[in-house]
Amino acid sequence: MPEYSIIGKSVQRVDGPRKVSGQAQYAADLNIPGALCLKVLRSKVAHALVKEINVSEALKVPGVVQIFTHADIPGINSYGIIIKDQPALTNKVRFKGDAIALVAAQDEASAIIALSLIEVTLEELPPIYDVKAAMREDAPAIHDRGNSISAYRVKKGNVESALKQAEVIITGSYTTQRIEHCYIETEAGVAYMDNDLLVIKAGTQNPHYDRRDVARVLGLPMNKVRIIQTTTGGGFGGKLDISVQCFLGLAALKLGRPVKIAYDRHESFISTGKRHPFYIDYTTAADKEGKLSAVKVRIVGDTGAYASYGPATLLRAAVHATGPYEVPNVDIEASCVYTNNPFSGAMRGFGTPQMAFACESQMDLVAQAVNISPVEMRRRNIFQKGAVTATQQKLDASIGIGKTLEAAWEKALQVMPGLGDENI
Amino acid sequence: MAQFHLEMKVNGKAIALDIDPGLRLLDVLRDILHLTGTKEGCGEGECGACSVILDDELVDSCLILAPQAYGREVITIEGLALNGELDPYQQAFLEVGAVQCGYCTPGMILAARVLLNHKPKPSQQEIARAISGNLCRCTGYAKIVQGVEIAASIKETKEGVSRA
Amino acid sequence: MKKRGYGLANMWYGIGNTANPNPSGAFVDFLDDGTAIVLTGCADIGQGSNTVLAQIAAETLGICIEDVVIISADTEVTPDAGASSASRQTYVSGNAVRLAAEKVRDQVIAIAAEILNLPTETVNLYQGEIWNSNESSGVSIKDIIIKCRSKGILTLGHGSYNPVTTMLDPETGKGIPYATYAFATQVAEVEVDTETGIVEVKQIVAAHDVGTAINPQNVEGQIEGGCAMGIGYALLEEVILKDGEIQNPGMSTYLIPTSLDVPEIHTIIIEESEISGPYGAKGVGEPALVPTAAAIANAVADALGIRIYDLPLTPERVVAALKSAQEDSKKV
Repeated sequence: MPEYSIIGKSVQRVDGPRKVSGQAQYAADLNIPGALCLKVLRSKVAHALVKEINVSEALKVPGVVQIFTHADIPGINSYGIIIKDQPALTNKVRFKGDAIALVAAQDEASAIIALSLIEVTLEELPPIYDVKAAMREDAPAIHDRGNSISAYRVKKGNVESALKQAEVIITGSYTTQRIEHCYIETEAGVAYMDNDLLVIKAGTQNPHYDRRDVARVLGLPMNKVRIIQTTTGGGFGGKLDISVQCFLGLAALKLGRPVKIAYDRHESFISTGKRHPFYIDYTTAADKEGKLSAVKVRIVGDTGAYASYGPATLLRAAVHATGPYEVPNVDIEASCVYTNNPFSGAMRGFGTPQMAFACESQMDLVAQAVNISPVEMRRRNIFQKGAVTATQQKLDASIGIGKTLEAAWEKALQVMPGLGDENI
Repeated sequence: MAQFHLEMKVNGKAIALDIDPGLRLLDVLRDILHLTGTKEGCGEGECGACSVILDDELVDSCLILAPQAYGREVITIEGLALNGELDPYQQAFLEVGAVQCGYCTPGMILAARVLLNHKPKPSQQEIARAISGNLCRCTGYAKIVQGVEIAASIKETKEGVSRA
Repeated sequence: MKKRGYGLANMWYGIGNTANPNPSGAFVDFLDDGTAIVLTGCADIGQGSNTVLAQIAAETLGICIEDVVIISADTEVTPDAGASSASRQTYVSGNAVRLAAEKVRDQVIAIAAEILNLPTETVNLYQGEIWNSNESSGVSIKDIIIKCRSKGILTLGHGSYNPVTTMLDPETGKGIPYATYAFATQVAEVEVDTETGIVEVKQIVAAHDVGTAINPQNVEGQIEGGCAMGIGYALLEEVILKDGEIQNPGMSTYLIPTSLDVPEIHTIIIEESEISGPYGAKGVGEPALVPTAAAIANAVADALGIRIYDLPLTPERVVAALKSAQEDSKKV
């Protein structure tokens, strides 16, 4: 057989012509005549019980068709990919941006006026913004299960004894910031009833998960919910969570009319997931040749008001904490913790960019301490065939780190003339 | 509210509409004329997804009130592919892989067109500067810059051919 | 004063969900005229999965990519393919599409072998024709599918794939969290202005082991985009909170890299074929970004001789670090 005819070829994107000609239909581009406009009332308070929601004045606004609250949710009022802890419309506010009420109106202007006329009576609770404070035993619980959601451990060998014998020990405390996905397309969608089938079209990274949680929240069988992904303007993890889907489904189902919602940039910012800020304490031990003998790592991730992908982020961080290096003794613990901050979820890398920052800083510091170059430090420690990872998985094949290291270094020497002898 | 009588040219076609004078040009294009190739990304003139060409100049249509377009000519992404055939910019973007999610693409292509109208053979630095008001979160811009370079050469060849 | 520095960072990244089943399904329908429809739940969010899955289907079925239509991410029509996350779609959904297409291909091969009187083991589908070992039989795939129809055989295939992982021990984490890993090395060159604290990234070398690169241009695009996002993470971006409220909830106050912030990125694709991957592929989406901030931080430390332990490396933070290092040295 001759070689592959299509694998390995840079064929043009199948969706390219639609995109360059402006014909691709993103969620906000969909136009259903007569569709009602949806707007969400969001909390300006971080932590509170919702005691009463009075919509009578808001309902009087001409053009307003209906206003929904938590009392209108027909199914189970909670969703979440890993832990079902996030209400579609809440009766307990957990961050500034939590959804309290949903307005359906004939036009956007009426919906916005209605938002301002909804009266919400809150019983404020003490907010917790600091993740370390949230971990204290006496901290007010943001959710019934307590603030520490999950703790992951990766342990191998005997770190304490390795630390005693180590010739070099480097310890550093690292912090990383909360960031926003900032895909250029904000969240949007439309929904309508096709006989008894609820159809939701929205930008999403996971339509089948959306179906599961929309069906749950609306009390529908899964086969009566159809999620159609529209052309999606970037995700980076931020469109893995439910955003507009339950709002669209609730209004279309209850009203039997087509509906549309589109977040502006502000709403996209305040209501959707972020990259987890991490607090990392990292100790690295090595011999005087720079060969790693142990790492001890403690990671705390601020997942904010809802778990979203937080547990998966902290677990992946723990598993990847050593970097692509063989370390005989490891002691890694990672905790995922609720606060009253905007929630953190999946973002490109799931905790590993945070860990790479800490781990690779440590590698340079060890290299400096034993007086070898950063590249040599890595050469002495990267996974080779047969290496055993922190989770004691033996790597047998497709381990490209040696090749990427040498290829990148060779290229760098070529294109970066300033990379002098002292760096090698 | 008193309606504003808007007359303008959009993609070569004369348009006459009575509109709410508070509408942005972006709203008229998307909601009334259904030219949804022009996108809204930020609503404050930062991202460039809503870029259109207004009388040979690249503008953020979210920052222009529709009445400001009175008597002027607007070109949107839909105005480029004539008779279904992609123009050099669109071809070039496809060829080099300058499109990922595609949301910034219409604005980018229009920015490229304005640049090449003023400067047929721009340097990479000039291209980067010309598209710096158009944000892309997917590509890292390298292939977009390359796409503009290729568009310039396709355009040159085509114009050379048509002149000859 | 402007100081140059160079930084290196490695990364590894497990493809797919961590120690959890994350299956993908796909259906393939090979039609009478030799074109095919692929149904997959995989959401293309711009990363290019529809293109990559079309390539895998076309290669397996021996037809050109123009003859493949991908219908994706519609829950009433397409099977669950899990999330477009964890850099998993090329590997997991790619395998599901490959398996579904192989079922169809094997049906066609069986009938072709019967009709052409060839052993099935040497028959394959390639560029629209039935091949026997290294030469074309001259018979088109389309003709064989028509023969299948005349025999009452519909050429339909389904496939599902779940990466081989195990649970992790709750005390020790022992187990197999991922079936395969992507690897990468990035080197960053920076220039730091010691007066203003501004860090400028001059160039980045990014070498990525992605397994087989199904579509090299797409892989490059992912790497270039990942590096750009990594520059933002390292230097520019931070959602600032005050009492839990976002202080910069807009694009005029939350800055992401523009075309002027992203330098030349030298991408190098390393193809360490993965035996369990579709045509040897692994993944690249997230790995593209993972080591970038780390490499930039190491480059800044190299330039200044001072290490900053907090991201992002804003001008304020760089200036403060320089100042406190100066004060420390005075004390000594």
